[in-house]
Amino acid sequence: MLGNIFKIGIRILIRQRKYTLMNIIGLAIGIAVFVFIYLYVQSEIRYDRHWTDYRNIYRVTSEYSLDEKVDFMALTPYRIASDLKSGFPDVELSTNVFFTDPSDINDVYSIMYDEQVFEVPDITLSDSNLFRIFDYRFLEGDPETALSKPNTIVLSSDVAQLIFGDKPALGEKLSTFRRVYEVTGVFDKTCSPSHLSFDGIVSINSLPERDLQLLSDDWFWMTCYTYVKLHDTADYEDLSFRFNEFASREAQAFIEDGGLQIEGYAEFVFEAVSAVHFNTTLGYDSPSNIDSAYLYIFGIIAGFILLTASINYINLATARSLKRAKEIGMRKVLGAHKKQMVFQYISEAFILTFVAFVLALSLVELLMPQFNELVDKDLTLVGSLFSREGILFGGFLIISIILLSVVSGSFPAFVLTRFNPVSILKGSNFFFSQRARHRLSAGNIRKLLVTIQFVVSIGMIISTMIIYAQMSYLEDYDLGFNKDNVVVINVSKDTTYQKNAPAFLSALDAHPAIENISVASSLPGYTIGKRIFYMGNDSSQQQLQSANYFAVGSSYFELLDIKLLEGRLFSASDSAESIEGFIVNEAAVEAFELEQPIGTLMSLDGNETHSKIIGVVRDFHYEPLYKNIEPLVFMYRPHVQRYILAKIDEDKKIAAQSHIKNIWKAFNDDLFLHYTYLDEKLESLYHGDNKMLSLFTYFSIFVIFISSLGLYGLSSFLIEQRTKEIGIRKVLGGSEKQIVMMLAKDYLRLVLLSGLLASPLVYYLMNRWLDTFSFHIQINAWYFTIAILLTMGIAFFTIVLRSFKVVRQSPSIALKYE
Amino acid sequence: MIKTEGLTKVFHAEDVETVALNKVDFTVERGDFVAVMGPSGCGKTTLLNILGMIDNEYSGEYYFLEEEVSKQSENNKTDLRKEHIGFVFQNFNLIDELTVWENIELPLIYLGWKKKARRQRVEEVINSLQITHRKNLFPIQLSGGQQQRVAVARAVVCKPALILADEPTGNLDSMHGEEVMNMLNELNKDGTTIIMVTHSQRDATYSNRIVHLFDGQIINENLNKLL
Repeated sequence: MLGNIFKIGIRILIRQRKYTLMNIIGLAIGIAVFVFIYLYVQSEIRYDRHWTDYRNIYRVTSEYSLDEKVDFMALTPYRIASDLKSGFPDVELSTNVFFTDPSDINDVYSIMYDEQVFEVPDITLSDSNLFRIFDYRFLEGDPETALSKPNTIVLSSDVAQLIFGDKPALGEKLSTFRRVYEVTGVFDKTCSPSHLSFDGIVSINSLPERDLQLLSDDWFWMTCYTYVKLHDTADYEDLSFRFNEFASREAQAFIEDGGLQIEGYAEFVFEAVSAVHFNTTLGYDSPSNIDSAYLYIFGIIAGFILLTASINYINLATARSLKRAKEIGMRKVLGAHKKQMVFQYISEAFILTFVAFVLALSLVELLMPQFNELVDKDLTLVGSLFSREGILFGGFLIISIILLSVVSGSFPAFVLTRFNPVSILKGSNFFFSQRARHRLSAGNIRKLLVTIQFVVSIGMIISTMIIYAQMSYLEDYDLGFNKDNVVVINVSKDTTYQKNAPAFLSALDAHPAIENISVASSLPGYTIGKRIFYMGNDSSQQQLQSANYFAVGSSYFELLDIKLLEGRLFSASDSAESIEGFIVNEAAVEAFELEQPIGTLMSLDGNETHSKIIGVVRDFHYEPLYKNIEPLVFMYRPHVQRYILAKIDEDKKIAAQSHIKNIWKAFNDDLFLHYTYLDEKLESLYHGDNKMLSLFTYFSIFVIFISSLGLYGLSSFLIEQRTKEIGIRKVLGGSEKQIVMMLAKDYLRLVLLSGLLASPLVYYLMNRWLDTFSFHIQINAWYFTIAILLTMGIAFFTIVLRSFKVVRQSPSIALKYE
Repeated sequence: MIKTEGLTKVFHAEDVETVALNKVDFTVERGDFVAVMGPSGCGKTTLLNILGMIDNEYSGEYYFLEEEVSKQSENNKTDLRKEHIGFVFQNFNLIDELTVWENIELPLIYLGWKKKARRQRVEEVINSLQITHRKNLFPIQLSGGQQQRVAVARAVVCKPALILADEPTGNLDSMHGEEVMNMLNELNKDGTTIIMVTHSQRDATYSNRIVHLFDGQIINENLNKLL
């Protein structure tokens, strides 16, 4: 029986080749996109869930307030790890991981081994508790003791491979310009995704005792990430309450002991480690973190794409039902039960879905490299099948096949088996009346389903257009400075450069292709640091203000074309020790409530010497446009900084680049040169959103393609059904144009209706997305109009394509059609 | 009004060629009522389709209102057809989705008549054919005879010079058949040229000329009214 059903199913599908092919292609693309999204979402959810004790691991983050201004950051003071461990028995282990700047891809360390220099990104400091909390798999060394001694370093397997090849790394000595470190461990970084991303960890006790002591006292110096592992019985909310009580008491004492006149507090939040990856609200957090809303959006899109493909199946199958009416009538007459017939149709759907799945998985495997590039991942289909979650994935695939078959097969089965066999077999008049009634239901349901497809398509098109418009808007936004033709050279923290800096800078400047140079601790698009400023010079009356801080050389403002509003800029004749020390932006003037900014005295981090504000510059966007412009203070520091800026002649780019390379080689032969163009760096700030844009574009294309395929198939059947009517209309004088318009009109109306349904929803969702930017476009009616017209155009083209042949043929042929 | 010279139509199916019309020379004058008779498959309907310009794949010459039409564009033929020719089919060929009124109105829409004029003209035809009370029904709600009445109404609504009728009574009982034939007769009396394909000797008696087709050729012509 089962064999018979499958045999007939396969025969029917083969006989209706065109229909089968169209269904399989649509379904396969739908499933492939669905699988891609599944793999992507799964890889994101897996972040930090593979640690054995992940349920007990928490990251401590801080809410940090000074004079009513609140900052939320992932960093905490160094001291709280030891405060937590020593004062709170619920804490089993605690550790610090020092802040490095993982967002800055050029921030690398040069490490020497065997007279060769290697660059290692992301080196941080921590202690042995790190590997007790996070059970990284060690390929070499003992995680328990790896970081217990000073001047030891643990490397990731990638870096170990880079430096040592296949030789064992353990016990080898690596040197930086400051110290020599012994390799005490190699861990496998690739094993699982984590927000923690480092390639080297130096033992924290390598720092001088004096520095550690300074760090251990301060409550407001945010330098590191703090992680704790709690005992199974601990209640983190209760712990958080108790710890915050302790912290506010201690921080107050710290303020009072320092004689500071501020209203401030630091509050700490305990965050489950598995939630870290989805937190995008904190400053100084992992750049790999994503907004979990994106995952929901992708999940919904995946569902929509699959729905669109399933709708194709349902629509084509029910439209085809008229052709099968006789077969069904005959089967019923021969004694088939309704159940058997339903099973027959579901099994046809199953065969089709199964073939589509096989094709989809091949497609996924084939396109995986392109997809990985798109989403910055290293996903593999086989890897996912054989991973820890492989059973889940396999089960998910099997359930999907069954579910998809049942869902898409049961509606046609229901419609088809409802035919009354006597009416069907008795004659055409009865059949006609049967058909009219049948059309009333199945036809309307088909319309409803097609409307759903159009709603999804139009929604996707509008969203893609709005994302595109916003990204172009950001690209063209007047940032308040000139980002063009600025080369930013990362200066190593190493000492050779520092010795040669003045000579290097003047050599660099001495080329006609270089228009201007400067140095800075930071610049737009790069990491910024908040500092505390003490306003006024009377220590008993001091006001504390927090603001972002850039140390810059002369020509910085001229080079970036930042406008001076008041006072003067730094000049090369200024001295770093001069009392004329600060320049502020407009936002700082407002935040510090300075009526007469020029001449106001202030000091950085409570230094003894106070300096004057000498100039006010126009506000410019030094942070991504998600954020408003915050107070910024510049200090004149013409000596060595982290970045060298060179403004180059646009027409002599190549000459400028080779000059920079030559000079670097002459002065720093043993160091890598890392430079980037400022405009490129700024563009990379929106990498996540650009990624969204690419994904949306692809998803839109797929949705539209699948919908069009379905529309093509559906209109094929419906036009075939109307062949005779088309013939009659032609006989009566209808022109080809009139008849095509008549055929298309129904669908165009549906597109319009779908557009009206999709618009408010998309308007709401896209406005929410735009609200994440402080500066964004306004959504106007054009996006909706264009999307609806575009979809109408596609639908119209599809129908013209299909109806062309039927409309062109002689009416005499059409009239014979029955 | 109509003249054909060497009209030939060949059907190609797989490897078999069937000659449906073989060098047919045929003339119809204004006001004629011609019955085309012959056994099944002799080419009657094919001839009618060609004359109605709904089958355009043939060889030979075809003059309609003194104009050679075989080489004319599809659009021109459509214009000629909708202006001058009305059709009545054996199986009525009404559009199921349109009401009686809408079916009759359709040719006028294609002729580009204004709404008011259309309403007037359809009203006129419906009244004269006594189907006013059924104007809002759909074809499937009508009997065969009623459907053919609607089909005739549709055929005459644009006052065509020529009506082509393909076995107009073939699906009707004798009473309804006679009704339809009377309608055609009346139209002919009013000056409309009619060419009718039929199997029925009785229907043929309404015509003033009978053409016999056999294997795609005209074998004899009776001047019916003279016999």
